[in-house]
Amino acid sequence: MTFAITRMMAPVPVVGNPLPIGGGAEKITIRKLNFYYGDHCALKDINVSLYAKKVMAFIGPSGCGKSTFLRVLNRIYDLYPNQRAEGEVLLDGKNILAADQDLNLLRARVGMVFQKPTPFPMTIYENIAFGVRLYERLSKSELDGQVEQALRRAAIWEEVKDKLNANGLSLSGGQQQRLCIARTIAVKPEVILLDEPCSALDPIATAKIEELIDELKNDYTIVIVTHNMQQAARVSDFTAFMYLGEMIEFNTTTFIFTNPENRRTQDYITGRFG
Amino acid sequence: MSDAALQNSSIALLRGQVLDRLRLRDRIFHFSTVAAALIVLAILAGVIIALFIGAIPALCNFGAGFLVSQRWNPVTENFGALAPIYGTLVTSLIAMVIAVPFGLLIAVFLTELCPIWLRRPIGIAIELLAGIPSIIYGIWGLFVFAPFLQGTLQPFLIKVFGNVPVLSELFAGPPYGIGILTAGLILAIMVLPFVTSISRDVFEAIPPVLKEAAYGVGATTWEVVRNVVLPYARVGVVGGFMLGLGRALGETMAVTFVIGNAHRISPSLLAPGTTISATIANEFTEAVGDIYTSSLIALGLILFVMTFIVLAAARYMLLRIDRRMG
Repeated sequence: MTFAITRMMAPVPVVGNPLPIGGGAEKITIRKLNFYYGDHCALKDINVSLYAKKVMAFIGPSGCGKSTFLRVLNRIYDLYPNQRAEGEVLLDGKNILAADQDLNLLRARVGMVFQKPTPFPMTIYENIAFGVRLYERLSKSELDGQVEQALRRAAIWEEVKDKLNANGLSLSGGQQQRLCIARTIAVKPEVILLDEPCSALDPIATAKIEELIDELKNDYTIVIVTHNMQQAARVSDFTAFMYLGEMIEFNTTTFIFTNPENRRTQDYITGRFG
Repeated sequence: MSDAALQNSSIALLRGQVLDRLRLRDRIFHFSTVAAALIVLAILAGVIIALFIGAIPALCNFGAGFLVSQRWNPVTENFGALAPIYGTLVTSLIAMVIAVPFGLLIAVFLTELCPIWLRRPIGIAIELLAGIPSIIYGIWGLFVFAPFLQGTLQPFLIKVFGNVPVLSELFAGPPYGIGILTAGLILAIMVLPFVTSISRDVFEAIPPVLKEAAYGVGATTWEVVRNVVLPYARVGVVGGFMLGLGRALGETMAVTFVIGNAHRISPSLLAPGTTISATIANEFTEAVGDIYTSSLIALGLILFVMTFIVLAAARYMLLRIDRRMG
């Protein structure tokens, strides 16, 4: 996939695109990443750079490896013994695939929101406080402040402020998902991974999450996997198209959706397959 | 035209006959399933009724005093159930206090931490532990475990707690080897597989994504288990305890071997005692006289009610967790 590298490196003349590719600080640099489920190779030689405080969308048909890619970035795959990654994933220049990487610290720096909302079986307040308490010793009032701030940032404070002691599972799906985003933010990560965060939500809840993503990119590097191409076009600055475990094309979102280099990318975004 | 109509009606007739035959077969099938199910209910009802009728002489004779008296004198035919009830509850309590933490630790290890290659051997070992006949636990308990405790744990407990108030009472007296504590420990070993395997099943039923989410905010294994796995699995785990408790309450053979079969309530856990099932097993063959026999049956009725309540509670809790997990 050498052409993918050159595609990223080469200055691409993009008309009307305010974000020339290669611009911005690199938050995560991935070199020659291969990923295996047992013997099955799910990611093949991925090379890509993710830019700080930008939104990177990963699109592609089911099974193309985009969720797997996300799961490498915070090494959540490490929970399963027969999954392994090879290559380099540099977070601020340090390889997180190294054996001596502290996983708890990594996952605090690289937060993840899942496809299905996953509130913990505890109160709304505790859902947020749980993560905060892992890292900080705070007085009750400081903790209250942090919880409120996280809920506000996730645009759910107004809806839950009167029922912080209700069970997290009592919320609606969209609210649960924003609660999970609040929980992720509360730990003060640098990167937020979103694995199809809206696929279980209705259009109104989806719109709220998308607004939120737009808001959050001021402070965080966001990587989102989505099946919804309109969503990728709406929320992201950069888009990667993946197919059968390979990174086919990575470029600014405008470029990918208006003038893709690769025919498969074009076929996919125009709905000819996928 | 009329030919066609005739043909149609004869087809309808034929079809009706076939349907009748199928309907009859279906009815027979239906009836046999209902009958099989009803037989179980009938047997259960028969056991309860038999226990009741058998227990009536003793219950009439001693009244409610049967439950609170600890006399047990076959010569004067004066019986009370308190000592066996006490023994049953205390041995089961000891068993659960030991087996539950151990079982939970094993279950957490198996589901969260154990390397794949070790999972099966440990899982199989635990299931084998559940498959050992109780008489073997009894023999082992009497000939190996009790002498071992007599020489090690019991003198140690007596020495350590000898000067501590309250606890000196609990661990007083000569180390007999056999006794309430020994029976409790044997029961703990026997109950452990139940607690472990049910806890493991419940832990495994937790959606992986929930655990991933907890690990995803940077929690350690302990924090994930403490804050996510256990709260989520709570009801199921309690159900597992209850099934274990049901087994501990009713276990007969192993307990009879090592408990000492003494009809008295002693404050010391090292002293011999008895349980309901041990009493029945020991004395039924030599029970002469209606009151004696009836008292033993009444003991059985009490045990039946106790285990029934525990098992019903366990079923109810497991049902609730099933429903919640969809």
